[in-house]
Amino acid sequence: MVHNLITNQASAREYSLSSAVDGIAPPDDFLGFGLGLRTDHFQDVLSTKPDLDWFEVVSENFMVDGGKPKHYLHAIRELYPMVMHGVSLSIGSTDPLNMQYLRQLKVLVNELQPQWISDHLCWTGVNQTNSHDLLPLPYNEEALNHVCDRVDQVQNFLGRPILLENLSSYITYKESEMSEWDFFNKVARRSGCNILLDINNIYVSARNHEFDPQDYLEGIDKNKVKQFHLAGHTDYGNYVIDTHDHPVADPVWALYKQALKRFGWVSTMIERDDNIPPLVELLAEVETARNIAYDTLGQLERVKQREIVT
Amino acid sequence: MDKLPLASLQQKLINYLVDDDPTVTTDIMEQIKDHGSITRDVRLHIYKNAYQVRLKETIENDHEMLGFFLGDDLFDQMVLGYINAYPSDNTSLRYFADKLPLFLANTAPFKDHPIISELAHFERLLMVAFDAADATRFTRDLLANTPPEQWPDLVFRFHPSVQLAHFHYNSVETWQALKQEQSPEPAKEQHSDWLLWRNNDRLTQFRSLPEQEYNLITMILNGASFTALCDLLLEEVTEEQASQVALNYLLRWLDDGILIKQAFIQQ
Repeated sequence: MVHNLITNQASAREYSLSSAVDGIAPPDDFLGFGLGLRTDHFQDVLSTKPDLDWFEVVSENFMVDGGKPKHYLHAIRELYPMVMHGVSLSIGSTDPLNMQYLRQLKVLVNELQPQWISDHLCWTGVNQTNSHDLLPLPYNEEALNHVCDRVDQVQNFLGRPILLENLSSYITYKESEMSEWDFFNKVARRSGCNILLDINNIYVSARNHEFDPQDYLEGIDKNKVKQFHLAGHTDYGNYVIDTHDHPVADPVWALYKQALKRFGWVSTMIERDDNIPPLVELLAEVETARNIAYDTLGQLERVKQREIVT
Repeated sequence: MDKLPLASLQQKLINYLVDDDPTVTTDIMEQIKDHGSITRDVRLHIYKNAYQVRLKETIENDHEMLGFFLGDDLFDQMVLGYINAYPSDNTSLRYFADKLPLFLANTAPFKDHPIISELAHFERLLMVAFDAADATRFTRDLLANTPPEQWPDLVFRFHPSVQLAHFHYNSVETWQALKQEQSPEPAKEQHSDWLLWRNNDRLTQFRSLPEQEYNLITMILNGASFTALCDLLLEEVTEEQASQVALNYLLRWLDDGILIKQAFIQQ
């Protein structure tokens, strides 16, 4: 158990399979079922203390010096385990790594002591211009070498492995020489990073590029996946956009079930970024995820309630 | 076709996002595979649209009252002009519109109405006050525990959220009227000084500063001791009144929460 001398922080719950089920026990680093923490819900979380296993926070939202957001963040960290999810690492950019950003990230890591830190397998800008979007890489040897080299630098700087997430994409470059999942696997194996698999993004990209999402799941290394994201999208008929402003769609729930069958127990969370509904609605989606996982892999019991260690 | 280095490919896509020139579009289009049931044009446009919408939403969130003041058409014109003039160079959208007051002060038609730039400036100062660093405040209790012989040499320090601002127009009054969903008075020249900060309840607060208080705060920012503040007041009030007036200011500042615990003693 983590012993934190700076401030009270919640430790993760421990789960085991209930004796009635003949299944596979979750791995030690399994966090359970969580939610993306959003400013709209700060007060509700603190006043209702929902029965939730963990929160994911967007790192950049808290790279400020102080004030209300940080105050709430630390108060909530006392109650729940957290993981940090970034959008600005730009691991695939040909600009030099942004050391100022990495230093800010490390400060936040020290404050929050997250279970893990993630960002995306993408680039966000080049030559001092930031698109604030997750832009796809060409999947070829040059990009592979470039990304692996940078993941190595980031992991050395942070002193721990990171997780990278697959993105939703709308274009394929002529320079691409392999599938995204092949590229993703090679990055993870060679650099030692782990994988955050966004089930919705697989669905969105599969629709936009007309591949079978099952091929993606089958193509990803079983041992590398540490977290799932579930989110909503907007369907325009001919194509799908990853808007994160709707509830999780039925085909994504179905794909989640397939992912559970392939990867087993993986820490899962609901990610809503826009059109934020009341907290209870998102908690209901977390319960849906939990129920699908229990139906697919067996019932879990909490061995121990979360403890606050001092 | 020769292999295109990764850096060149990335530059082409960024060029496409920030520039409407047709040759820039052709440049990136040539690098995109034509496949499936939607065209390359539609595929690329998803990124361009997302780029513009994201930056526009950022300015809308940061500058709500400015948006009401300008109305939709002028606001859209401002957004387009600003996005083109100052593409984001920061990892956080929090700072994307930092140069908006500068842009509005120097770009037609906005520069012809200086109150527009001042409104933007005021809203950015509120943001600075909102998420500036935390610090333990100086309180009445702490003051009471300070030995009386140290008082004259005390040099107060401000909370990191404290901002001083000077406006040449009735900008803050206009902002307040818009916030209360009322029609603001016509823009007029009106010099005023304002204090903005985050209070003890972590709420952003502001008030206008009378000239005397503005001068005292400016002196503190320049390192003046409590005695020096009293000396300044002596130019305006009697000796008996000076220490009481200074104490009243000090108590107000403590109650406002604008001073921090680490006052220091002038050597």
